Amino acid sequence: MEIALLIIVFAGLFALGVPIAVCIGLSTLTTMAMTMDFLPAVTTIAQRMAGGLNSFALLAIPLFILSGQLMAQGGIARRLVEFSKAIIGMVPGGLAFVNVISCTLFGAISGSAIAATTAVGSFMIPEMKKEGYDKNFAAAVTVTSATTGLLIPPSNTLIVYAVASGGVSIAALFIAGYVPGILISLALIMVCAIYARRHKMPAGERVSARAALGYTVAALPSLFLIVLVIGGILAGIFTATEAGAIAVLYSLLLSAVIYREIGIADIASICLKAAQTTAVVMFLIAASIAMSWILAYENIPAMVAETLLSISDNPIVILLLINIVLLLVGIFMDMTPAVLIFTPIFLPVAVALGMSPLHFGIMLVLNLCIGLCTPPVGTILFVGCALAKTTIDRMIRPMIPMYAAMFVVLMLITYIPELSEGLPRYFGLID
Amino acid sequence: MLSVAKAVDAALRALLVVLVVMLVFSIAWQVMSRYLLDDPSPWTEELARFLLIWIGMLGASLAFRQRAHLGLELLPQKLKGTAAVVLKYFTLFVIALFAITVLVAGGSNLVALTWELRQYSPVLGMPISWVYSVVPLTGTIIVFYCLVQALEDDADTAVSRGVGEL
Repeated sequence: MEIALLIIVFAGLFALGVPIAVCIGLSTLTTMAMTMDFLPAVTTIAQRMAGGLNSFALLAIPLFILSGQLMAQGGIARRLVEFSKAIIGMVPGGLAFVNVISCTLFGAISGSAIAATTAVGSFMIPEMKKEGYDKNFAAAVTVTSATTGLLIPPSNTLIVYAVASGGVSIAALFIAGYVPGILISLALIMVCAIYARRHKMPAGERVSARAALGYTVAALPSLFLIVLVIGGILAGIFTATEAGAIAVLYSLLLSAVIYREIGIADIASICLKAAQTTAVVMFLIAASIAMSWILAYENIPAMVAETLLSISDNPIVILLLINIVLLLVGIFMDMTPAVLIFTPIFLPVAVALGMSPLHFGIMLVLNLCIGLCTPPVGTILFVGCALAKTTIDRMIRPMIPMYAAMFVVLMLITYIPELSEGLPRYFGLID
Repeated sequence: MLSVAKAVDAALRALLVVLVVMLVFSIAWQVMSRYLLDDPSPWTEELARFLLIWIGMLGASLAFRQRAHLGLELLPQKLKGTAAVVLKYFTLFVIALFAITVLVAGGSNLVALTWELRQYSPVLGMPISWVYSVVPLTGTIIVFYCLVQALEDDADTAVSRGVGEL
């Protein structure tokens, strides 16, 4: 009974366009008000919200958001693009590969798909267009390959999942994201190769060995961030949260001192932007923590698990069902709220089927990456669309083979646990 | 009222920048004091956690001002004329309702309870009620912003979309 009320209030407000955090908060409040007095109900929610943010793990989020924004404006993307061109630009269809690889590298130093889309796309989309590529294809390549940054560490989405799942190690999730992220990148490169062959795309210009060396040297300080952040976590020198602070200081050094692309005046505005983005995430997290308490109180996850397992006890079927539901969720909901709302609901089912919380998290995030590229709610799709000065419906056609490629990777990740768990196990981060 | 809103905006912005800088330095200091001074600083973690609560809450109120919170935009973008105006006021009403009940009423009660129980933070010895006082403060600012947005034209609201892949 109470749960029906929760779903109706949430879905009704959500459909009307009320901010999701408020939908979560008010649906939680109506549900709680059914079983307790008003003042204890609102006090409990307020306490869960503020107390929920009182977490050291969550501190990694503002720090990686800040370092991502410093990097987006710090001229790092351009150097990664030049570096990728020097490596692979000379083959037929080279610029498309350069686009995918630059986005993946950018994702490996920052955790923001939007930053990757903007930073890499603003160079690559005009350039690909100039070389005769369809601008819709160019935008589609940028948008889909930018999602790899959400799996390849550092990744804010994986941190949100770590908190929502109630304690999966951030370090293990970070390392687990490499193989799936690189698989998506490879799958997209294959789509690009087929496109380049079919449309007889030209080879990019060959750069001299000397210039290639120059580009590599210029990109090295950016790439060193990977060694510093991930190496530091793996070596046990600092925690994921502390790695975030190190990433902020290093990207500040990089963009303000080494590449000299931002000044003191920019820093305040970047800090403010980071604070605002952080706050949007934190407010959602705070509200979700209040809701997950009432979900557990009402025994919802167990009920969902029971219902799903009554449909079939075949793990292959159930996981496919969960993936289909999540793909539908991803079409209408942004990634962070989707992770926060559906982790407490589906994780117990996955665990009951013998899936590890680590593996489930990677599958969840990869699944929602596809949703990030689908209309009507696909933030980076809109950014790519604006950069290419095109419309969403024109972008859908070139997107279709890319959705298919990402879906194939999703199925591989879902049914082969080793792809997610192998690397963290090798480094001794899980048993 | 709009000039008051501008002053509140400016104060919030300045405060958020200061809090973010403090956050970065306290975590960075945590690493440095451990390795460089060989004397891990005890207060950095607690301070950083409290800063996060303040940044999250106060930043969220500013995000309401700029309509940066995530939501399904399909209906608001489709509606025109009277229906759009009705939906705008309904949404503002719902946001204000949430802010008044949970953040202002619930938050004030939370502050009062922790004050009466004399709860102090373990390391800094700071009253927990001070930390939680940001909750009713945020609620009040959100209600104020809802009123401002109800009075002003939509065109005046600086909408900052695209906080990304959130």
